Amino acid sequence: MGELRVEGAVETESAQFIVIQVGEEQYGINIAFVDNIVRMQAITRVPKSASYIKGVINLRGIVVPVMSLRLKMGLEPDEYTKATRIIILKLEQHGTVGVIVDEVKEVITLDNTQIEKVTNDTTNDKVNFVQSVGKTNGGGLVSILDLSAVATEKE
Amino acid sequence: MDVSQYLEIFIDETKEHLQNLNTQILELEQDSENMDTVNEIFRAAHSLKGMAGTMGYKRMQNLTHDMENVFSEVRNGNIKVQPGMIDILFQCLDALEGYLASIQESSDEGTNDNEHLIKALNDILNSKGASAGEAPKAKEEAPAKEEAPAAKPASSGDSKEKWHEIKLTDTEKNLYEKAKADGMFFYGITVYVQESCILKAARAFLVFKALEEHGEVILSKPSTQDIEDEKFENDFSVIVVSGDPLEKVIEAIKTVSEIEGAYGSLLTDADFNGASADGDSDGEETAPEEKKEAAAAASEAAKAAPTTAPAPAAKPGEKKPAAKPVVNRTVRVDIEKLDVLMNLVSELIIAKNTLVSTASSDDATRNGSFNEQIEYLESVTTNLHESVMKVRMVPIESVVSKFPRMIRDMQKNLGKKMELHMTGEETELDRTVVDEIGDPLMHLLRNSADHGLESAEVRKERGKSEVGNIFLDAYQDGNNVVIEVRDDGNGIDVAKVRDKAIQRGTITPEQAENMSDKEIIDLLFLPSFSTKEQVSEISGRGVGLDVVKSKIEALSGEVEVKSKLGVGSTWTIRLPLTLAIIQALMVIVGDEKYAISLSSIQTIEDIPAADIKLVEAKEVIQLRGSVIPIIRLNEVLEVESKKSPDADLMVVIVKKGDKVAGLVVDELIGQQEIVIKSLGKYVNKAKFISGATILGDGEVALIIDANALV
Repeated sequence: MGELRVEGAVETESAQFIVIQVGEEQYGINIAFVDNIVRMQAITRVPKSASYIKGVINLRGIVVPVMSLRLKMGLEPDEYTKATRIIILKLEQHGTVGVIVDEVKEVITLDNTQIEKVTNDTTNDKVNFVQSVGKTNGGGLVSILDLSAVATEKE
Repeated sequence: MDVSQYLEIFIDETKEHLQNLNTQILELEQDSENMDTVNEIFRAAHSLKGMAGTMGYKRMQNLTHDMENVFSEVRNGNIKVQPGMIDILFQCLDALEGYLASIQESSDEGTNDNEHLIKALNDILNSKGASAGEAPKAKEEAPAKEEAPAAKPASSGDSKEKWHEIKLTDTEKNLYEKAKADGMFFYGITVYVQESCILKAARAFLVFKALEEHGEVILSKPSTQDIEDEKFENDFSVIVVSGDPLEKVIEAIKTVSEIEGAYGSLLTDADFNGASADGDSDGEETAPEEKKEAAAAASEAAKAAPTTAPAPAAKPGEKKPAAKPVVNRTVRVDIEKLDVLMNLVSELIIAKNTLVSTASSDDATRNGSFNEQIEYLESVTTNLHESVMKVRMVPIESVVSKFPRMIRDMQKNLGKKMELHMTGEETELDRTVVDEIGDPLMHLLRNSADHGLESAEVRKERGKSEVGNIFLDAYQDGNNVVIEVRDDGNGIDVAKVRDKAIQRGTITPEQAENMSDKEIIDLLFLPSFSTKEQVSEISGRGVGLDVVKSKIEALSGEVEVKSKLGVGSTWTIRLPLTLAIIQALMVIVGDEKYAISLSSIQTIEDIPAADIKLVEAKEVIQLRGSVIPIIRLNEVLEVESKKSPDADLMVVIVKKGDKVAGLVVDELIGQQEIVIKSLGKYVNKAKFISGATILGDGEVALIIDANALV
């Protein structure tokens, strides 16, 4: 469902994306799925949950699970800095999930001519989270995350 | 008339009436002579009909109408209650429930006329009069004869010819004179439509058509328009001018089907003389009134007709099919409970105001009065919580009252004799729990009826009474509500379960050796495990007990079974009274805070490290003579304990049913009221974490479900 919605959004004239930094790379997250962006805060660990699940936070009275995008992508564990943010995603299938990112860069607008689908290499986990690549006006490339794949539970 | 605002009330009340009918008809089956029961059923059917009529649900109205007719006859002693009739009545209730479900979904009753039921009901009605020929009609008319004179003082004695009520004015008189001169006759005719007739207006139309072949309808009562709109009871009267003899005209009317009879006579000069005088003095205004009176008389006489004109609400245009269920879930709340709530809220506001003023006062007085205010606030919020919970509480009666009917049906299906005994229906539970508890209970009851109880022959052999007994007992036990389903049947055959489990590969024979009977019985709660050799319609597809267990656990409850072969089984469901807010003990393990529900805690003990013994490589302590296994929470929670290994242990003794265990924690914080928040499916892999709560400082603490650890 999530995936379908993203594709639907791509077909419209243009869409806005939040550009985030995770490790060396920059990724785009469709703004339609972003509920909120909050600063790093105390995370309560939940025993026996998947390794990339960091725990739960209190988001204005609601308990929201938080995952590390770095761990999910098989990168080095997060080092929390002043720039670290938790992006709260609202996904149809998975509900509300927080994703820890190194930094939030900017918001860009891409129209569908600037977005190209990528064929996924099933052997590489990291690439599988990317559904398409956007060419920014400045000439840079942004990998647009397949949020459904990000939120899907797997090691 | 817009009736949509009453829809919720209608649905609620209809449910109540249906439930009441179910119960009463069951009672009637036991004691068919009980007039109180019959009267109660009659009243419920009558109210249902009236409500359905007002809301414009014609099909529902028709069906209840016929049910009411049958009971009217039973009440008058004309029909005896028979088993076949009870079955049909139950089918009617199912059909009504069908309508209700449809109304709830779409605010439309659907299109199922349930004609076979209406026919069956009419067959019952007609059967008793078979020998007496016209008996049903005659009987219905008989009371009419008694009542009618009172209602229409002006008319003549023969109540069948209601056309006498028609006011004849000078216009008619002129026509009459003219017709007389032409050799035509004036007839007054009253036509009776069968009570079971569904399309009365259509029949009336056919009657009018038939009449027009023989002459002309001068006047009708009710008006032609009202007749077309079905705004009449079971009869209408006409004044006809015709050249044919009266018999021929009446014959023509009777050719129309579903017409019970037509009675008429020739109008004479006298009719007009009296009438015109009457008409002059009273004018038009009295006419509707009298019509109503007559209608009331007729309805009372027939004891079956709609109470007040239901037709206005019955316009088909009002029934718009909607895609979504149109009704929200509601709780009916005692106004007193709301008053208490209101009072508490006002107290809360006062407390807030006092706090505000304290905050702006001098430093010297501040601290003392702050604490005072906070204590006050605390008591207010606790009371508030309690009364909100009370508002959410409903008796489980609404769920369990459908079970006697279910058992009755199963008795027929399974060919076993059984009886259901229920106590504690008034026990209250949170509405959300009550809504969810129905299915698990039904599973357990079916299970008892199908697997538990033996057939009558076997029971006889074993020296038990032929009729199997199933008990459903509910009661409150501390902060829990316990619901027990008990039967005096065969009990669970542990050996059979063990064999089956081995055969299915659920356990190995070696494992089976070491398992206690209780552990083996617990295997029944595993998915797809059914011991009954034969799969029956009622239970035995193996999708029962595991569903029961998971559903009850989802409600933070637990289910246990005790069984004795040959004597019976007892299934015990234990549910928390409320779900959202609990009293909890806050503890520290490592550097993390956790909450443990107070309801499962027995005591808290300080145990010297040296007191720990090893039994079968498991750590246990001895406490007041009993051996209790201990569970080190830091190991379960995968955190480093901050206490040195030889320091005294802080042990929280928890209890689940008759099992007891000690949870070792690092530190106690204290007791606190916590609001349970769901963790969601996303993170909750561990069964012993039942949720989370948000602490005063905004931090999230997890709630440990001690039941899952014991």
